[in-house]
Amino acid sequence: MMASSFLWYLVEFIRPSWVRKFFTVRTAPLLTPPYFRGFPEPTGKACTRALRCMMVCPAPGAIDVVKEADGWHPRIHRGHCIRCGLCVEACPNGVLSSGRVLESVTASGTALTLTFRIDVDTVSCMGCGNCAVACPVNRGLDPQMAYGGRASRDDLLLCVVEGKCKVVREDRCNGCKTCEDHCPNGAIRVDRVLQAVQAVSL
Amino acid sequence: MRRIVDVSIPLGPIHPCFKEPARIKCETSGERVLAVEVELGYMKKGIERIMRGRPWQEVMFLAERVCGICSVIHNMVFIEGMEAISGISPAPRAALLRVVANELDRIQSHLLANFSYCYTIEHETLAMYLLDLREQVMDLLERLTGARVTCAYIVPGGVRFDLRDEDAALIRAGLAEVTRASARYTRIFETGPLIGLRSRGVGILTAKAARESHAVGPTARGSGISEDLRLRHPTYQQIGFSPVVRSEGDCFARVMVRFQEVQESIGIIGRCLDALVQGPIRAGGVCGAGKVSYSGEAPRGELSYLITTDEAGRVIDIAIQTPSIMNIEVCAHRMIPGVTSLADVTATFVSADPCIACTER
Amino acid sequence: MGILQNVKNAVRQRSIHVAYVDVGSCNGCDIEILACLAPRYDIEQYGIYVHNNPREADILLVIGAYTPGWADRLLPLWEKIPDPKVAIAIGNCPISGCLFARPGTLIHPPVAAHIPISAEVPGCPPRPTEILQAVLALAPEVFRDYEVRVL
Repeated sequence: MMASSFLWYLVEFIRPSWVRKFFTVRTAPLLTPPYFRGFPEPTGKACTRALRCMMVCPAPGAIDVVKEADGWHPRIHRGHCIRCGLCVEACPNGVLSSGRVLESVTASGTALTLTFRIDVDTVSCMGCGNCAVACPVNRGLDPQMAYGGRASRDDLLLCVVEGKCKVVREDRCNGCKTCEDHCPNGAIRVDRVLQAVQAVSL
Repeated sequence: MRRIVDVSIPLGPIHPCFKEPARIKCETSGERVLAVEVELGYMKKGIERIMRGRPWQEVMFLAERVCGICSVIHNMVFIEGMEAISGISPAPRAALLRVVANELDRIQSHLLANFSYCYTIEHETLAMYLLDLREQVMDLLERLTGARVTCAYIVPGGVRFDLRDEDAALIRAGLAEVTRASARYTRIFETGPLIGLRSRGVGILTAKAARESHAVGPTARGSGISEDLRLRHPTYQQIGFSPVVRSEGDCFARVMVRFQEVQESIGIIGRCLDALVQGPIRAGGVCGAGKVSYSGEAPRGELSYLITTDEAGRVIDIAIQTPSIMNIEVCAHRMIPGVTSLADVTATFVSADPCIACTER
Repeated sequence: MGILQNVKNAVRQRSIHVAYVDVGSCNGCDIEILACLAPRYDIEQYGIYVHNNPREADILLVIGAYTPGWADRLLPLWEKIPDPKVAIAIGNCPISGCLFARPGTLIHPPVAAHIPISAEVPGCPPRPTEILQAVLALAPEVFRDYEVRVL
């Protein structure tokens, strides 16, 4: 009994197929499937600097839109990016692509619409105008604007009216929250209101 | 006369059996373990503090990262809580797709938990079978959501990606294979004599003790308590399912409950795919102000979110109650005291499927 | 040097013992490392053994964003690992703190500020294949001619 089992053991292990497998077998090549959401890659379409990607990104410091010789380009920072694919979905121009996100979004007509709302707490606002001066949208429209937030035109995003900050054109806001960072009292607040929508033409 | 020296033996925080850091202090007399204390505090990140003052698109990802193993249910409970606050109802197709994603996640979580248990009792063959089976389920989850672990699939009003017809067929085929394999592994576990010696009658939690100490999830269902929050979820009510309950109350029962729930989940996914209606996957809707307490059945048990939002849809206050904190305490006070060997301490602890990351957040 | 050193180099890159330490992650990277054990990825075919025992480890995989609970524990753990040793940061958390690096958080990333980190695998979480490639790419470089370089 003992001997036969030992013999069986030996025979089992000198089978050529076993020996060959023992030395050569490897697991199948490990491929990343095409449907995996990897780090967003540029598709080659031109970036119009809508900044939706930066505003929707949930990870701190994961994406920047930088200016290079041939225009604006989104830059993904590895080690910060969590590969959620929200930037791909939110981009109005399809600049980025990741896995099947772009394909799937185009096929089913889904989108992420981002609107911004600015709330000014009139009790704690002291009308210093820091927000209006710091606002990059204001700076583009009225570069002459200086201390106190006195505006030379009336279609700015923010300006100071009668000692209080006033939101004039909320639709111009691009949600960068620079005003929040510059407010000494924490009186201004920008909300990035995101809505997941789908075109109903199915 | 032999003297028995009482020794306090620490296990962890780095221990080959634990995938996560926790320290178990065992008061022993000989091999018998008399009392156990679980020391936590290695994983506290302060997620609830970070969540305050943020809109849903940021809190959703933080909620997923409360627990990386059962991320879909955290996503689902948080988003459905926000929907309850804002009066959004999800698109019918999306509601079913959510359940598909959630059940796939439950299957992989249960397979991982059973892998950990088999690995802890040193039945490595079965453990590796289960881990390989889990990879097949992860493939299906990745096909549906585009990511393996942190899927970010559920958004207010719907889901992010539609399920293609060819993918639905692949998921069906894949699950048929998982059904066969998992039935085989269940049989191996059920009939294995050595597994029985390590599992049957070890770490007993009686139904009375489970009820008194508020055990949740498979731990409670392994002790004969028929409690499953999925029974109160509208989509699950529409699909229909019955909770798995066993009455033994030992490690064996808890692992078997998970095995049987895998089969149950496969059935739910099949019925969801049958019931899948064509149509939009997102209903839209803006989050508003309100306060809600919303619960769902995570793979480990009852998961509750208490959410307060302001009129811009920002979360201004949030409290999360995860299932593991209940089960860890039940484990420390009810199951482990009285086990006859130190090796059974880790096995019993792992059989309750503790998740330290979501306990401490 | 010579033959003995070559033998050592050859053996070392085919026998790597790994310990992993979770210093406050979400479990996502944890289970992706566990998934590397699965027969599909099978890290043992490359001679990598996951022991989770620092005293016999060559490579320490660090997961997580360094919570206060680890403040006086991670460095002693690192010192217990015998030379030659390397630490690899797995996932975004040890690199940048991932989503948790926000005002009000309790964590102190990066982990590289507390123990020396040789390589970083970004991703939240990285795929098992990415973890595997990082370990395989790093191991021969780090352990080559260790005695010649250091002693």
